[in-house]
Amino acid sequence: MAGIDVQHLMGHTRRALASPSRTPRTAVVVGRLLGLAFLVCFGTGLFSHFLQDPLPWMVFPTRPIWIYQLTQGIHITAGILCFPLLFAKLYAVFPELFQTPAIRSFPHFLERASITLFVAASLVEITIGLLNTFQWYALFPFPFRQTHYALSFVIIGSLAIHIALKLPVINQHWTKKSSEETAAAEDAVRAALADDELSSSGGRLAEPAAPAGLTGRVFAWVDRGAEAPGSPGINIVEQRAATQRAASERAASRSHSIVGGLTRRAGGWMLRRNPTGAPPVVAEAINAVADETFAAIDRTPPAPPKASRRSFFAVIGLSSLVLVVTTAGQSFRIFDATNIFAPRKMGVGPNDLPVNRTAKAAKVTETAIDADWTLTVSNGTTTRIYSRTALQALPQHVVELPIACVEGWSQTATWKGPRLRDLIDSVEAPTGATIRLTSLEQNSSYAVTEMGPEYARDELTLVALELNGEELDLDHGYPARMIAPGRPGVLQTKWLTSLEVI
Amino acid sequence: MSDTTVSPTATMRRWQIGLVVVGLLLLVVGGITLANDVAPGNYVGILIWFAGALVIHDGIAAPIIFVVALLLRRGGRRIPFAVIAIVQGALVVAVITTLVALPQAVKKQIGTNSASILPLDYGVNLIGFYAGLAVVTGITIGAYLLVRSRRRTTTAVRSAQVRPGS
Repeated sequence: MAGIDVQHLMGHTRRALASPSRTPRTAVVVGRLLGLAFLVCFGTGLFSHFLQDPLPWMVFPTRPIWIYQLTQGIHITAGILCFPLLFAKLYAVFPELFQTPAIRSFPHFLERASITLFVAASLVEITIGLLNTFQWYALFPFPFRQTHYALSFVIIGSLAIHIALKLPVINQHWTKKSSEETAAAEDAVRAALADDELSSSGGRLAEPAAPAGLTGRVFAWVDRGAEAPGSPGINIVEQRAATQRAASERAASRSHSIVGGLTRRAGGWMLRRNPTGAPPVVAEAINAVADETFAAIDRTPPAPPKASRRSFFAVIGLSSLVLVVTTAGQSFRIFDATNIFAPRKMGVGPNDLPVNRTAKAAKVTETAIDADWTLTVSNGTTTRIYSRTALQALPQHVVELPIACVEGWSQTATWKGPRLRDLIDSVEAPTGATIRLTSLEQNSSYAVTEMGPEYARDELTLVALELNGEELDLDHGYPARMIAPGRPGVLQTKWLTSLEVI
Repeated sequence: MSDTTVSPTATMRRWQIGLVVVGLLLLVVGGITLANDVAPGNYVGILIWFAGALVIHDGIAAPIIFVVALLLRRGGRRIPFAVIAIVQGALVVAVITTLVALPQAVKKQIGTNSASILPLDYGVNLIGFYAGLAVVTGITIGAYLLVRSRRRTTTAVRSAQVRPGS
């Protein structure tokens, strides 16, 4: 029975996809950059995560004041750079998708499964990360922050395993010199092997041996299950033999040799069958069309290797540069003038500062402008209540501090108001006290948060009443909000209602 | 890639084992975090996204890129490779920029919670970017062709000058 020769198709597809920029060396060079970007994102991401959900023993630096602005700006910018880098990496190794036999052994199965998980998780991680920067949550049916956090461990774990499995190749192609030496040695071995195989097997396909080991038996069982419904009444052994014969002949006629093995039949055998169950005429037609297509590809002038590799890297560099120049302006002022694609723009918003959560979204449009609003400061039974006028009567301080959002944008602004430490000292807070901040906002997991003593005692930490020389806008937290150095924006509590020493 | 032909050294083996152990531990942490923080009802959605990402990349985007590159090479038999490479490069830059900018233009149309989220005119900026990219690409190709023809002329003149003496 003539079948569609999937094995043949896969082999040819892989060959057709070959390109000078698809070499172990290019994969290693791009892989290094991508691995670095992933690790940078992971490190800065963990920092951001623990700032928001600290473990009990954790203490954070408050200087430099722009530390979080920098780490989170880098997190988002490096995350955006992962798009060209990941695409380049996947481009470099794309022919590997069509390797034959698809599965050679149980370790090989595990390797391919781990890469599948790695690639899928990476693509999803950077995509939802990007969508989060402009809050397009309706697109994905799972919570952003928790999923993004959990997947980061899956990705870095898969990365470690991937590096382990590829370590010999990475080692061989780490430097340009070692890579060239390896390539030359491999060419020599390949030439010798090709001569050997042709003379010993006559160019014929090696017959797969009987299934061995657990994997082999499992796949043999899968094979039988897949085969039975499509071919009732046909002797399975006979059919299998015929299919294999046909495959061998086709392979031989094209001097297309593949290596058989013990458990390799798992993937290989399935490929040599005719999984579509197409009638012989159709199968022959498909094979003919495929042959024509591959012949046409073969006739296409090949790309010159050196120029091709150079342009590959030039394009990665250029794409990365364009993305940084057009988006990093949301976090780094030097790129502000060229910021045409970032989801935030410095200086755009009330008080010349972007707003993430509006008063309307937080449902405070009435409570926050209530004339009877007060700020309650308490330490056990000691309580002091401040009206806005009373807060204004305290010593006022002006500080320049950045507001830096987890979504990556940040901007330095001028804040004015009493120091937090003066307020908590008015209720005799101990030096090492942690403060619980409560906001008027509704439906937010950040309505009640805690602030460690390193921030509460800092001279730059204010209960801000003014922003950029104007009264605090309602969307920026009127009547009073927190501003502390080096903390994520979600913890710079707006629409304050109480401060509790705990 | 012919990793099958390589036999790792003892030091490399130790590194490999160490990395696999670290990797497996991190995978366990990831799994536990997922189980603790994300409700099981969301797992199907995550798996659908995983499958979708693979299908969109491996099944749609990568083959299209292959065909476009092939057609450019076939169609441009008489065009210098550098010119094809410059055009390909510009196309890649355009596509990647579009991937980042276009969803923002769409989301802006749908609406955001705050006026300062997506404050720019992303569609217009994208069109402006394409125009700028086209101009830069044109200039680069022009400059390349100019340098190439000059080099050829210089080489021709030089060899013409050398010939009588040799």
